[in-house]
Amino acid sequence: MSELTPSAPGSWEEIARAAATRRAAPAAAEVLRQLLCVRVEGAPYAVPVENVREIVRVRTITPIPRTARCVRGVISLRGEIIQVIDLRLRLGLPPAAIGKANRIVVVQADDGRVAGVLVDDVREVLRVSESAIGSAAGDAQGIVAALCTNGSEFVSIVEPGRLLEVGGRD
Amino acid sequence: MAKKSGMRGGNKADREFVSEAEEILETMRARLADLSDRLGAGAEADPESVNALFRAAHSLKALAGLFRFDPISDLAHRLEDVLDGMRLGRVALSAALLEWIDEVVALFASLLGQVGDAGALADSAARIAELSAGVGAITAPAAPADDFASLALDANVLRALTEYEEHRLRENLRRGRLIALVDAPFEIKSFEEGLAELSGALRESGEVLSTLPSPGDAGESQIRFSLLVGSDLGEAELAARIEFPGATMRVVRAGRARPQAAPGAAPAAAAPVGPVAPSEPPAASFAQRAEGERRPSDEDASAAIPELESLKSISDTVRVDIRKLDDLMNLVGELVIQRGAIADLIARLTERSETARIGSEFVKVHKVLDRKIRELQSAVLEVRMVPLRQVFEKVSRVVRRLRRELGKQVELEIRGADTELDKLIVEALVDPLMHVVRNALDHAIEPADERRALLKDETGKISIEAFQRGSHVVIEVRDDGRGIDRAALRRRAEQAGRVQPGEALTDKETLDLIFAPGVSTREEVTETSGRGVGMDIVRSNLAALGGVVDVETTPGRGTAIAMTLPITLAIIQSLIVGVRDRRFAIPLNSVLETLVVDPAAIQTSEGRALLNLRGTPLLLRRIDEEFALTGGARAPRPCVIVIGVGEQRIGLIVDRLEGQQDTVIKPIQGPVQNLRGFSGATDLGDQDPVLVLDLSALVEDALRRREAA
Repeated sequence: MSELTPSAPGSWEEIARAAATRRAAPAAAEVLRQLLCVRVEGAPYAVPVENVREIVRVRTITPIPRTARCVRGVISLRGEIIQVIDLRLRLGLPPAAIGKANRIVVVQADDGRVAGVLVDDVREVLRVSESAIGSAAGDAQGIVAALCTNGSEFVSIVEPGRLLEVGGRD
Repeated sequence: MAKKSGMRGGNKADREFVSEAEEILETMRARLADLSDRLGAGAEADPESVNALFRAAHSLKALAGLFRFDPISDLAHRLEDVLDGMRLGRVALSAALLEWIDEVVALFASLLGQVGDAGALADSAARIAELSAGVGAITAPAAPADDFASLALDANVLRALTEYEEHRLRENLRRGRLIALVDAPFEIKSFEEGLAELSGALRESGEVLSTLPSPGDAGESQIRFSLLVGSDLGEAELAARIEFPGATMRVVRAGRARPQAAPGAAPAAAAPVGPVAPSEPPAASFAQRAEGERRPSDEDASAAIPELESLKSISDTVRVDIRKLDDLMNLVGELVIQRGAIADLIARLTERSETARIGSEFVKVHKVLDRKIRELQSAVLEVRMVPLRQVFEKVSRVVRRLRRELGKQVELEIRGADTELDKLIVEALVDPLMHVVRNALDHAIEPADERRALLKDETGKISIEAFQRGSHVVIEVRDDGRGIDRAALRRRAEQAGRVQPGEALTDKETLDLIFAPGVSTREEVTETSGRGVGMDIVRSNLAALGGVVDVETTPGRGTAIAMTLPITLAIIQSLIVGVRDRRFAIPLNSVLETLVVDPAAIQTSEGRALLNLRGTPLLLRRIDEEFALTGGARAPRPCVIVIGVGEQRIGLIVDRLEGQQDTVIKPIQGPVQNLRGFSGATDLGDQDPVLVLDLSALVEDALRRREAA
């Protein structure tokens, strides 16, 4: 906890450093966000990396009877029992068989709720500057919060909190 | 699951402070309860309770000071002042004063909840100031003092008495007790032990008012002490009880004759009136008391002992954060799962002839491992178990406060406070139990005049009893109040749309309506019971713990509400069953029996499947229908699992029994929170989760025919 006391002797160096920091500040405002890019039905979707707890291969998913269709069931993650949402079904897309490329992205919303999210494929981590993220026109499910570009593609940025808002039953 | 508000996140020092302070508050509450009971019964305040309260306030002040929680420290200081006045006889004990202390303790509790939140703590300053100021009006000075001149006591002895000791002497004189001076020689090397022994013996017959070095002759290596004693016993009786070598007794003032004083029933040693107040060992109280008023003359005697004593009392218990126990429990749970996986591997080894030999050697090793894991498991479970005493103390405190507020005469009886339950269950039990007891006090117990008119004892009675039944603990709250009016209950349920007019209900079904949401037995919402939860919440809270609640009532005679809870949630034996192509786990402690039945034996009546089980009809539920399962095929000969939840019994139809297994039931995390029918899931090893059936919900649904229709 060092306090800034500019009058301290031999503080020229500090003053110079402070000035340099100030000059550098506008550039630093260009905040980079890291997004985990996944694919569903060929289209790219992204989840902020700070909301991703881990990525696991598909393992036994035990279905839960009488629950929303997009909830595929539960998996055991080192003894923790976590529900798995099928992102396809959550987005209103047709179901598909689970194959080798499928992954479960364990997502933690800002309020602490956790869910596994079944995706077709995990691609890469994108670094996108905040200013390059545009707000979404609003999709039917209200899951996509914003858009950004990756090369020629538009990437839909998913809002984890809304993704995890699933009604009890269909 | 149980959530503790507030402190979960705070930093370590704050948590330590809160946990230690809570322990001090617990002591305060117990002592306060004792004082309040005694005051209520018109008995004398136990000086030890006042002292213990004083010490607790002192410790809290010091603790809060150490951690720099000034508002708490200041309030504790104020309380300490008042209690000091009380123990020195400057302030009289009164109901108003006890109430004030009660409020201060309650404020401490809420302040502890705000630790880590500087803003909230600062906001409480006004309340602290208000309470601090309020005490002036209720601290009436005590009765004027007696004169000691008539006593056959040396002036030197009188001069050596501390203010507290003078007060106790006065108090004993006022009660007309025998006052005597017991003088004895002690070996200098071991006088502490000797003194403690003699004081302990005297304390059984009365109160030791003061311990003073005596100028009398003593041998070379000896020192003499005089003990000033007050007792209800007669002179001869007291003398007969002193069996200390070389001790002599001199009467300072004879006691007033007490015809009813049964020999042996010395008040100081009498059991506390209330259900609470664990008594301290005499040696500790001696040491702690001595610590309070040290004076030059006995500096040596008292200074050495307290330190030794207090060190001892700290070192034999360790306070542990419940989360650490949870972690430990999780590790044991994973070990249990791995053990299952190893057993599977061994089975595969022994199946094949070329590995059968090594397999059988593995079996032996596995057996030892298995036994050790079981021992570890029960040891960890043991650590999590806590007696219900603290919860019961909380409840009895609330009862005392409420009966004061409501002006009702109610006697609370508590039995089985030593019954142990998992700490988490105990925590989660507080609110439902409190609700049931409040209901009994507020609604069930009639006012005194009404009870008189009904030829009932004017004082109502509420009893809370806990006992173990198998792997469950039953907590029963009984009152002798007006009972539940079934007709009125039915009317209200009809108004709330829970029952159709004219629908036939059994007596049990009718009573079960008190648990239906929106149905209330009370005429109007009162401050006491209206806030907080209804009986439906009580039921769902208990169900979340795997518990059930049953009601029994007789109009005009009273109601009994029995809450049945599993002893622990941590590791339980489960029955793994197969239903079509699915598997489920059923907690074994609720399984009464399993039968394989001929499908023809299952009869259908009014849309309900029934089985004649040794002459009694058993209501059946098909698990596949219950959960709309269609995959796979049904077995030709199904199995019926008879489960008992509280007083209710139903049979579950499944296709296969796949075995028993130790299971660690985990909550299902995820977006869908209300998974009706499942209490959690368990990993059977190899990342293969199996859902655990929530039997209370299944039974409840099965008995609620309306929903099925």
